[in-house]
Amino acid sequence: MRGGALVAPPDRQAGVDFSQILQNILNGLSIGSVYAIFALGYTLVFSILGIINFAHGAVFTLGAYFTYALTGQRFGFNGLLSNTALPVALPFIVAMLGGATLAGLVSVLVERVAFRPLRQRNADRLLSVVSSLGVAVILVNLIQYLVGAESYSYPSNPFGLSKPAINFGSVERPIPVRSIQIVIFAVALVILLLLTLAINRTMLGKALQAVAEDLTTARLLGINTKRLIVLTFFVSGFLAGLAGTLVGASQSITGPYFGITFGLKGLGVIVLGGLGNVSGAVLGGFVIGLAEAFVPPQFVQYKEAVAFAILFLILLIRPQGLLGRTQVQKV
Amino acid sequence: MTETTEPLLAVKQLSVRYGGIQALSSINLAVLPGEVVALIGANGAGKSTTLRAISRLIDVADGSIIYDGADITRARPHQIVRAGIAHSPEGRRILARQTVQDNLRLGAYTRRDRKQIAADMDAQYGLFPRLAERRKQIAGTLSGGEQQMLAIARALMSRPRLLLLDEPSLGLAPLITAEIFTIIDNLHAEGVTILLVEQNARLALAHADRGYVLEAGSITFSGPASALIDDERVRQAYLG
Repeated sequence: MRGGALVAPPDRQAGVDFSQILQNILNGLSIGSVYAIFALGYTLVFSILGIINFAHGAVFTLGAYFTYALTGQRFGFNGLLSNTALPVALPFIVAMLGGATLAGLVSVLVERVAFRPLRQRNADRLLSVVSSLGVAVILVNLIQYLVGAESYSYPSNPFGLSKPAINFGSVERPIPVRSIQIVIFAVALVILLLLTLAINRTMLGKALQAVAEDLTTARLLGINTKRLIVLTFFVSGFLAGLAGTLVGASQSITGPYFGITFGLKGLGVIVLGGLGNVSGAVLGGFVIGLAEAFVPPQFVQYKEAVAFAILFLILLIRPQGLLGRTQVQKV
Repeated sequence: MTETTEPLLAVKQLSVRYGGIQALSSINLAVLPGEVVALIGANGAGKSTTLRAISRLIDVADGSIIYDGADITRARPHQIVRAGIAHSPEGRRILARQTVQDNLRLGAYTRRDRKQIAADMDAQYGLFPRLAERRKQIAGTLSGGEQQMLAIARALMSRPRLLLLDEPSLGLAPLITAEIFTIIDNLHAEGVTILLVEQNARLALAHADRGYVLEAGSITFSGPASALIDDERVRQAYLG
């Protein structure tokens, strides 16, 4: 009796911790998989051209808005397109893929406007930082001009899920996970798997690796490098748009600046994983997603800082990132 | 009339400028089908520039490049490969992060005949047994000589009608160089047309049918390889 008053029964204490940990892991995997998708887009472009596309976050935002429009929902009362809606209302999955495709096309346009002219003039790579940031500012302001700064939400239960949450625990110790997070995780896994297979198992993927390693060699092999670069930007934008929609579906589209924090965090993810490394982007996404999920509720306002704190710590130990290769110059 | 063979490659009045520098000034050269032609000259004379212009890696300021009767002066690099020109470049430029096998496979990127590609890969391994032993190895771990072999084998994988070879002997031990030039002789015997750039003029001329001498972006001598070897001025300048 004396001990019982001071210490809670051991089994319950362990149980509470365990279910909380599992809950955090599941949340972390879900958001981490979206980070991974988004960061893959960054890293693909980086590995091919050795540059960071700072308009990537804006394309993410656009993807979310495109999907919103394609579901046939009405825009608000601010902006040029106030109170308008598309005459068609596509099912959410179709709208999501359509939105991602449109985001991919915008990304191709970004390459045309911000990267190609500089590349053709053999300009310093740093200049494309400025030009892509410029494009990002234009896109964000265009969104605000067209549909205003208010936040938009997708139709509730966009994927037509039968249950809002699934219990991974028992009746006594529930570990509820929102169904939409499971969908997000599944979509992300499929995308990651397809992309990994495409890069490592197809001729196109090997050609892409050749372009990434040496543009001149790729040309000498008969690879149409210009077309592959366009394709890379399309895939990158598609992934950004998809990530934008998935985040929008789990929270809401918070306005034209929706993608800014995400864009910065995505940068953190790819640097953490190792710049230009595909598996590194995926690993980095999950590391940061999980780390954020374990931030205690009372510190939730510092959640955004966690990604960068981890980045800082890991780069102290491994400056090349988790899976990055050390630069070896062979003479 | 029927006796004159059309050249496989004809470079006419070709000029190339790098920034403000005139790298090539109106050079003319031709390669007949089945020939091995050596392009020799000092460092910086414009030998590699000539090959890079033919591969369309750099822009041509003036003049024209005719391949197999078609003007390719404004073609894109990947179209050059499809047309049948393969270029084993200066510095080898193998894909150091990919395996020997993947390097070879990518050499056939423009081809779609899977079975023939597999057969050609085996043929390359027959030609370069050292590569066969290392087919699963990452290409960056190969020795200099092996990398040169890989660069040539990879170029052959596109089944070229014209092979551009840039400095195949650069940085290699004499024994390895001899091995490489034996392979060049074999390719010659098989009827592959080769335009060979070499700093080692004596070696190049010994294995070529004809030669051109480049000096500061202009062609100063040309003729049968044996005549160039015997020419007093060429001897003094390049053969020591």
